[in-house]
Amino acid sequence: MISRLIDEDLFESVNPPRLTGARCSGCATVVFPRQGSCPKCSDGAMSAHVLPVSGRVWSWTLQAFQPKPPYRPPTGGYRPYHVGYVDLGEVLVEARLEVPRAEIRIGLPVRLTTVTAYHDEDGTEVLTFAFRTDGNGER
Amino acid sequence: MSRSDEVYVVGCGMHPFGRDETVTGMDMAERAVREALADAGVAWEDIGYAVGGSDVSGKPDTLVGRLGLTGVPFANVQNGCATGASTVLAVANALRAGEASLGLAVGFDKHERGAFHVSAARYGLPDWYAETGMMLTTQFFALKTQRYLHEHGIAERALARVAARAFRNGSQHPLAWRRKELTEEEILNSAEVSPPLTQYMFCSPGQGAAALVLALGDRAFDLCERPVKLASLAFRTRRFGSFEVFSPWLPPGPHRSPSVDAAEAAFRTAGLRPADVQVAQLQDTDSGSELIHLAETGLCGHGEQEELLAGGDTDPTGRIPVNTDGGCLAGGEPVAASGLRQFHEVVRQLQGRAPGVQVPGAPRVGFTHVYGAPGISACSVLTV
Repeated sequence: MISRLIDEDLFESVNPPRLTGARCSGCATVVFPRQGSCPKCSDGAMSAHVLPVSGRVWSWTLQAFQPKPPYRPPTGGYRPYHVGYVDLGEVLVEARLEVPRAEIRIGLPVRLTTVTAYHDEDGTEVLTFAFRTDGNGER
Repeated sequence: MSRSDEVYVVGCGMHPFGRDETVTGMDMAERAVREALADAGVAWEDIGYAVGGSDVSGKPDTLVGRLGLTGVPFANVQNGCATGASTVLAVANALRAGEASLGLAVGFDKHERGAFHVSAARYGLPDWYAETGMMLTTQFFALKTQRYLHEHGIAERALARVAARAFRNGSQHPLAWRRKELTEEEILNSAEVSPPLTQYMFCSPGQGAAALVLALGDRAFDLCERPVKLASLAFRTRRFGSFEVFSPWLPPGPHRSPSVDAAEAAFRTAGLRPADVQVAQLQDTDSGSELIHLAETGLCGHGEQEELLAGGDTDPTGRIPVNTDGGCLAGGEPVAASGLRQFHEVVRQLQGRAPGVQVPGAPRVGFTHVYGAPGISACSVLTV
């Protein structure tokens, strides 16, 4: 099956997945996705910065109703999904959480993965980033 | 500041909030303005400066075609949830600057049903953020509330108590939309929207309009038996490190909200403390927001909310009456009218003529607070 990334600029690599943000040379602020100027200080230069792949759920919730467009449901239609912020240490990243309700909690160790967001009209699978339960994470 | 430089509210008017397909945003605004003028005992011709706001329902300055072509300067503002506060701030500043001695602030909106429709580009965000289903205000409120309850050890029932009080107050308010009381169980057991928030813990976009007549110094006392002083009004945008709606990333905490800055500035300018407040309005887009805003504005400490709510301290007869008209939860949220609704309610409370439940004991200090995207807050202190 042909697939593509939802936005090339978000990823350093796909296999294994790595996200890339930007880091300020002046104040060490890490942002995601990357941007050209620092939101904290006016001095620094921003350069690409690969983010850690594992962290902990900082907050979570469920999207229990289908969002209006421009949300694009996956093939087969919308199903409720979890979203949250993952604490990667230097930055908290908002992401889809591929974690079952019974397991989800603040503090849960999670690891970066990719999931199918939707399919293009020509059938191309469109991948986005997400986090799943990290089986090797400390308890 | 001497009395001659102070700005007072001398009249207020409001079109009932809710849903009414027979009226437009402009119709509601016209009615609110005429009511405010009548309340102040002045004519439209007497207004020397006007500011209006509407998020989606038309250009406010075109109201002159209905009210009278007097040549009055009429500015339009659009500041999301702080639109109403922005209109009041702009009028008050114009009066103090000598532009006029009598001014009018009006806000109105009529929204589509359902969650607000948002565009990623309008917020400077890439398309994938909305396409993957992360660009929803309801998610943000849930994520912020979830984290807050966790950090401060607050049970979800506290969220139901906020909503139950809102609907209880709304049930007795003639201008509110939701007029049916709901039990805490009904609220907790209503449909899950985004945990920990359920359907009845969220307000809905609705429609409505509200207007204020403001007067400078002695003019206020000539017109009004009990003018309400705008002791302060502070408007702030976010600083680095705040946790806001539509944030693909956050810096590590602590996260400081613009509500904290706006409230501190409002109390400082007024020379009063949060403990002096006898009737308050807090942005309650959802139960969690009100719960958090109670502490962010300084009305209580972080984590004290559960006890405060359980003890009835935020009821009209309690120590800190909050959202005595039912707030956004009972009134819905017509964005540009919502902030002026808060002023309307607090002014009427301080004048001892609340449309709904009157706070007993002749309150003398009132407080209003709004908060919204993309990280803005405005707070005011009103006194008699």
